Order: sequence, then C-alpha cells, then structure tokens
Amino acid sequence: MKITAISILLLLVTICAAKPDMSKSVVMIQIVKQPFDYTTPWKQTSIAQGVGSGFIIAGNRILTNAHNVSDIRYIILKKENVAKKYPATVEFIGHDCDLAIVKPTDFSFFENTQPLSFGTLPQVNSTVSTYGFPMGGTHISVTEGVISRIQTDAYVHTGADAHLVVQTDAAINPGNSGGPVVLDGNVVGVAFQGMMQADNIGYMIPTTVIEHFLLDVNDGKYDGFGSLGIMLFAGLHNESYKDYLKLPADTQGIVVTSVMLNSSAENVLQINDCITQIDNYDVDNDGMITIYGQKYHLSEVVETKQIGQSVNLTFWRSGQKQTAQLRVQLNRPVFEIARLYDNPPPYVCFAGLTFVTANRNFLETWGKSWISDIPHTLRYLMSDSPQLNKDRLRKEYVVLAEILPDQMNAYADEFINKPLETINDTPVRSISDVRKAFENKDCEFYILKFMNSEKPLLMDARQAHQQNDAILKKYNVPSWAFTENQL
Amino acid sequence: MKKIINIIAFILLLPFPVFAGDTDISETMKNSIVYLQISYYGYEQYQPWKNRDLTEGFGVGCAVAGNQVITTAYNVANAAFIRVKKADRNDYIQAKITVIDYECNLALIELDSNSLGKPLVPLIFSEKYKKGAGVNFYWLSVGSQMYSGRGFLDRAAVDSSTISFSQILTFVAAGISDSTASGQLYCLDNKPLGIASWSNENKEAGIIPAKVINRFLADVKDGTYNGIGSVGFEVSRLLEPAMRKYLKMPDDLQNGIYISDIYTIGTGSDILKSGDVLLSIDGFELNPYGRFKHPQFDIISFDYLITNKTAGEKISFEIWRDGKKQLIETLVKNFDVSRMLVPWYELDRQPEYIIIGGCIFQKLTKSYLAGRGGDWQGKVEPHIYNYLLNEAFKPTGERKEIIVLSYCLPANINLGYHNLSQFVVDSINGMKIRSMKDIPVALALNPQAKYDVIEFEMEQPAIVLDRSQLNSAGLEIAKNYGIDKLSNINP
Repeated sequence: MKITAISILLLLVTICAAKPDMSKSVVMIQIVKQPFDYTTPWKQTSIAQGVGSGFIIAGNRILTNAHNVSDIRYIILKKENVAKKYPATVEFIGHDCDLAIVKPTDFSFFENTQPLSFGTLPQVNSTVSTYGFPMGGTHISVTEGVISRIQTDAYVHTGADAHLVVQTDAAINPGNSGGPVVLDGNVVGVAFQGMMQADNIGYMIPTTVIEHFLLDVNDGKYDGFGSLGIMLFAGLHNESYKDYLKLPADTQGIVVTSVMLNSSAENVLQINDCITQIDNYDVDNDGMITIYGQKYHLSEVVETKQIGQSVNLTFWRSGQKQTAQLRVQLNRPVFEIARLYDNPPPYVCFAGLTFVTANRNFLETWGKSWISDIPHTLRYLMSDSPQLNKDRLRKEYVVLAEILPDQMNAYADEFINKPLETINDTPVRSISDVRKAFENKDCEFYILKFMNSEKPLLMDARQAHQQNDAILKKYNVPSWAFTENQL
Repeated sequence: MKKIINIIAFILLLPFPVFAGDTDISETMKNSIVYLQISYYGYEQYQPWKNRDLTEGFGVGCAVAGNQVITTAYNVANAAFIRVKKADRNDYIQAKITVIDYECNLALIELDSNSLGKPLVPLIFSEKYKKGAGVNFYWLSVGSQMYSGRGFLDRAAVDSSTISFSQILTFVAAGISDSTASGQLYCLDNKPLGIASWSNENKEAGIIPAKVINRFLADVKDGTYNGIGSVGFEVSRLLEPAMRKYLKMPDDLQNGIYISDIYTIGTGSDILKSGDVLLSIDGFELNPYGRFKHPQFDIISFDYLITNKTAGEKISFEIWRDGKKQLIETLVKNFDVSRMLVPWYELDRQPEYIIIGGCIFQKLTKSYLAGRGGDWQGKVEPHIYNYLLNEAFKPTGERKEIIVLSYCLPANINLGYHNLSQFVVDSINGMKIRSMKDIPVALALNPQAKYDVIEFEMEQPAIVLDRSQLNSAGLEIAKNYGIDKLSNINP
C-alpha cells in the first residue's frame, strides 16, 4: 500500500515535469532575410519573410536555429497570447551547428516567461514532444513522436558540417525550426531539419551540440567546431594492410591517409599512422568509439572540445606505439565548402572585372544542379583543394566572377569563372592580393594569369585606371574594392 | 531563229535544282551504291571482359573500286560482322573493313570477290562546291530499291565528327527531304559530291566532301595508310589591343591567332611555342579568330590547312615570336588516338584492364568516362576528368597512359578496400606506372616481398594484397563473377 502511494506520487511528479506551460517558454520568431549576391557582391538579393520558432533558456536568452536568423534584416519576437511585438537582434550565431541566440531589445519581454532547462541525449524509442509554429499559425503546436535513432549526419544549413543528430517521427515542418523537443519536461533537442523524400522523418540538434555552442559563446564570441585536420581510412579490416603497417595482429584502429596543410596535425601525425585511442576511448577498425553508451565515430570526442583544447592520441608508427597531444583547430579548407552568411562578400571590381572569393555561395549561383554544372576547374578545386593546394600562404582562391562590359574589357570573356593565379607574376592568395596588385600603378601592363590557361589577360595599366571610375559609376558599384581589411 | 532564242532563254532561266533533278540517275547508281547490314558487338566499359548486347544497324556503301566501297567510319565502329547487298542480287556478300579512320570518319570496305558477281562501277568524287546549289542524294534499301532525296548546299564548315578530335572539312546541306544520313551518296550536277555523315532536326545533313574522300583514297593507294594531319596545339583568339601591344606587334599587323597551348604530339607540337602568334599557314593569312579566306569555301577554320593534308607532307608556319616574324617549315604529323594520354575513343577492340585481387584497373579513356551515362562530365571525379580535359594530348615518356582503379569486386582478399574506386594509380611495388604494360612488370618486382603494394595519387589510401593468396583468389573471383580472363593488356 505504502509502495503504491509512493508510486502515485512519483507519477504525479513526472506528469507535472512533463507538461510545463510551453506558452511561457516557446516564442514565435518573425523574420525578414536578404542574402548577398555572390556574383555581383555589392548587391543584395531578394527579400524574404518567414516564421520560425525559438525558446527561452536561462540568462534571458532565446535559442533558435541559425538558419532562422541568417542573412537577417529584421526580427520580431512574439509570445503566445500576447499582442505586443518585440524587435530583436542576433547575439550569437553558429552556422556550423545551426544554432543562434536572439535577444529582444526590450527585456520586459522576459516578464512572465519561464526558461527551459536541458536534458541529456535521449534513449532511442523514448517519446518526445515538439513545440513550435509549423507553417506559421498563431498558436503553439505540439506533436508527439518517438526517437528513432541517433547518428552523425549532415547539417544542411552550411551543407558542409556534420554532427550528431537525433531522428524522430514527430512531424517537423517549416516553422518548427528552432522549437524545443522535450522529454520529461527537459529540452533534449532543437528541431531543425526534415527529410523531403520521407514521411515523418524529422531531425533535431541534440544537447551535446547545444552545450558546445553555449559553452563556446561564454567568452563573448563564437569560434565554432574544430577538427583534427586529418583524413582517415578504415583499412584495418584487411589483415595484409595491417601487417604491412607493422601493426600487432590484435590491433584495432584507423589509418591516417592525409594531413592537412597548416593544421596542428602536421607536427604530430604522418600518413600511415594508425590511431588506436583518442583520449581514453579505444578506436575500432571502423574508426568508432563507445561514447554516450553507443558506438559513434571518434570525431565525437573532438566534438566535445572547444577550439584550442587538445585530444590525447595513441597511435602506431612504423611498428612503434606512440602517444601525442593534438590541438583541435578550425582547419577550414582554402576553398570554403560551407555556405557563408551574414557578411557582405569581399570583392575587387577593377576596369569592369569583378573578382570574388571562390566559395560554395559563388558556386551555388549556378542553380539547383550546380555541382554538375559548374566549370571543371572550380569543381576540381572545390572537391580537392586540400590535396591540390601546396601554397602555405594561400588563404583562398580568387575567381573572375563577372565582367561589367566596357571597351576596356571587351575581350576578357574567355577568362570568366577562371581562378586567378598571378598578377604581374605575384601570386594571388587572397582577394586582398588583387586589390594590392591594382593599387600598384608602377607598371605598363597588368598581366593576369589564370589556372589552366596559358594565355594571360592583358590590361594597359594606365588605361585601366583611367576607365575605372567611369565603369564603376555606370554600373553603380559603390567602391572598387571591398576586401577583408575593410570588413 | 526566234524560237531558238526562246529556248536558250528558257534554259538559262530555269533554276538549277530543277535542271539537276530532271535527269534521274537512280538506275545508274544501282551499279555503285550498296546496302550495308552491320552487327555491332562492343564491350562493356565497366565490365570490360564482357561484350555488350548485340545490335544491328545499316548503312550505305559507295563504290570506289569493283569490290570496294566507302562508308563513314562511325557506321562500322565496333562492327562484328558486315554484310553487303547489291541492287542486282538477293543474297548477302560478306565484307571486311580494310582501312578505317575515325578522324576523317571514313572506312574502306572490301567485298568478298568470290560472291561479288558483277563488279561495282567505281564513283569518281568531284571536288566542286557551289553554295546554294541543289543536291540530290541516294541510298539503297535492303529490298534493292534506290531511294533519293533533295536539299541544297548551305555552307562549307570545318567540324569534328561525333567522336573525333580533328576538325575536318564538312559540307552542310540544308532543307533535306530525308534524314537517314549513314553514308548516303550526295550528288551535285549528278556528280558524286560526298557522303552523308550526320543529320539533325533542322533538316540539315553533314557531308564528308570529295576533298576528304579523295585524300583518303590516295593515302590508301600505296598500301600504307598515313592518316590526316593532326593539329598539335591549341589556339585562342587575339583581339585585345593590350595583348598585341605587349607582344610588340606593329599596328599594321592585324592578323594572327594566339597559340595558347602546345601538345606533345601532332603537327607543330615540336616547333611552336605557347605564346607564339600564328600569322599564316602555307601562305594563307589567319585572322584573329584563327580563320582564313579559302578561294572556294569562304572563311573557314585554320584546322583545314592541317587536316586536309596527309602526314609527311610539308607545311609552313609564319609566326610572330620575340617581337619579329619567323617562317618555319615542318612536316605534317598524324597521331593515332591510342597515343593520347587519355584516348578520346577506343573502338574495335576490347578495353585494356587487369584484375589484381579483385581490384579492377583500367586504362582511362573518354569512352570509359562516358560509360557513366548522361551528364557524365559533371559526375566523374574531377581529378580524373582533369586528365581528359587538360592533359589528354600531352603524353610523355614518363606518362603514356592514365591507369585508374575502377572498383573492387568484393572478395575476402580485398576486404577493407570494397569502397575504393576511381583512384589514379601512381605506383605499384615502388615502380611508377606509365602505362598498362608496366603493371605486369611492376607486379614481378621484389620477388621476396610478401605483399603487392598499389599506391594512388591525391593521398588516397594504398591497397596492399597478400601475394600468396593472389592466384587462388583470382581463380575464385573469376569463377564467382563470371570473368573469362583476368587481364587484357595489348602487346
């Protein structure tokens, strides 16, 4: 009898905790976006309006998805059953993990609200509730579903990052994005993406990723998720390969096939090293470790680290077991394959020739099937820049994106979309190098050499400077150069 | 007298096509045009030990000797068996290809003399060209009926065929009444003008003209076929005043095309340099687009001046180099497609491959890449595509062919490598791989070593295979996957 009473009491507590008043925590985010044009970089593209979800967390903050508030021009927050609209700004944004913190300009917004607290990684098959404003609407919607699986997967906002995702069959539709997914009264994820081809497959960002983001911004700026700067190959399934690498027969691990230029791994690891342990986790032949009670890729250990922190590695090299510390760094490729947001793209527009940084945003201007439609050289660099670039000082690739027609550049169209290699034999390693080259007026010609093109583009230096202002004026270009130093 | 004058005036006023059509030469053509029935039996690109499904096609053959006909090379590409029907017989005559040149898109076919019967009447191809003139064309059906169609000569162009890299002289007929192409005989003023190589939806047909055919026949005559001149460089238009000024070209020198890339094979590859300006070829001045005024064909591409010649003939280039004019003479060169670093096509023979421990290694060709299906250019790995796009015409002593790991046939010996594919081979057992032929040599190296080690470009993982297992694994894989032989490397 006594036992039953305790059971009932416990059940009541659970029920209370499972049903907090979400109207005090979940908010509607009305947004106006306007991305930049990456071919004509001084222009912004069309304006779009939308609705997303967010929720209040400790410290008078509102957590939402980065994709809700990227390239943002205006934000309004709305609470359930309150008419007042609260303008807001983005305090922190992490595009790589699709999370952002938004704050209202008027902090009275937080009156009569309740911050939500976070739970841990949920168990598969547990029932969760998703809150938000799918497809607009004026009232909070709630849908229930079970956790189907947890795995590392792509985050589509940047198109280039992968972290742990939790899959649920609770309907996640446009507008749900940024809303909390709740288990036993605690947030276990942020709803963020769905699968177009499948019914009822929705994804949320788990608390492991959210915690990394919140810890990262504690110092007042967001640094992002880092990596080890190495490529790995699960080749030890083959006994011959194992023996060839002089590994003891019972060794499990994963093999380093490539070390990124300028990464911290350069002084630590070599090709054909076999990593057997990361921190205290044993690595298996698929590169997996047991973490959070499950098998996940060893990158899950790296995910727990902030930029600048280290992992301890145990690895075999030429028959010797070794240990080393390896610092986690950003390690971005010189050809940026993650979509960029928020900042105006740098450019140089000289004598009607518009140079931009070659990155994914630029490539996506080719439209839906850009991956197959882009010119070969750009596809090659995008896909293989870590192997192709041997120049330590290169920051990025620069490409001739557009020509503003004028007599000055009447014959330059054969160079369009080609990556620039040198100007007057000086290597172009960043868009700033292009600006510097054209600032130098002490030459008769500008000789521009492009990749995979033996023929250079020639410009009469004096004429080019003479014509430049008129061209800028004719085409309403606000400034001839907008490079990183001016950001 | 007045009557006679009237008749003359009448004749003069008659538009030419009607005049040409007045005399039907279909019956005469029955002595010279044959029907070709072709069975095709190529190879699978990604399972090169297997033949493709048999297909059938037909074409038109035009007599150039009593027992010889010509047709387009493309008509008989990958032909397994060719049968010929003459208008005067009901039975098929067996035939074989004696010379085939995909670059000028012509094939010479010899009919079996024993079953030929009455010899064919050879056609003489006339090198006339009349822009706008009416043309008739002829082809024979399997039922011995001679069909004919009409159109008019629209233009002379310099173009490549479906698969070739050479730009050859082509006539384009417009407003054609039938789009069969496949080697139909085109006539101007009832005289053979050329044979049809293509047609399109705009009722246009491409004609391989008499000039190309007669060169081919003359080349064949001595028993050694030398081939057409292959261009050994790339050009880029030269319009920028700043570039001309930079090259110190005087203002009155307005012609010339910029040499933007040099191959390691082909005409001019040994004497021209990147950055030269090609002013004229054999005295024909080239404009900044690389075209010249031909006395017969108007403005056409410079390629004609090379591809219209036979390898071994003399050719002269006037160039602008180091701020002055220079005249250089050289010989026209031809290269076979198989000499390219990445051949544009590989026809009439089995693709080269070798299977080592279930890992399939193949020679990179354009046909191999095109095997990926529609829009293959956007699908293939960029590192591999780069060899086709930027290096295809630049074989060297150190690199004659590109060998790729196509994919692995899963088996115990290659466990762990199953997902590796489309890597470019760098070395085997420490030896740099220059061509397919190097692979057996490299595999025989280091006889004491326990493993064969295959290394790839672009920092891809190596493949290590236990030598002691290779033979038995090879037999098992061949049996399991239905492979009759584990390698095909041309001698």
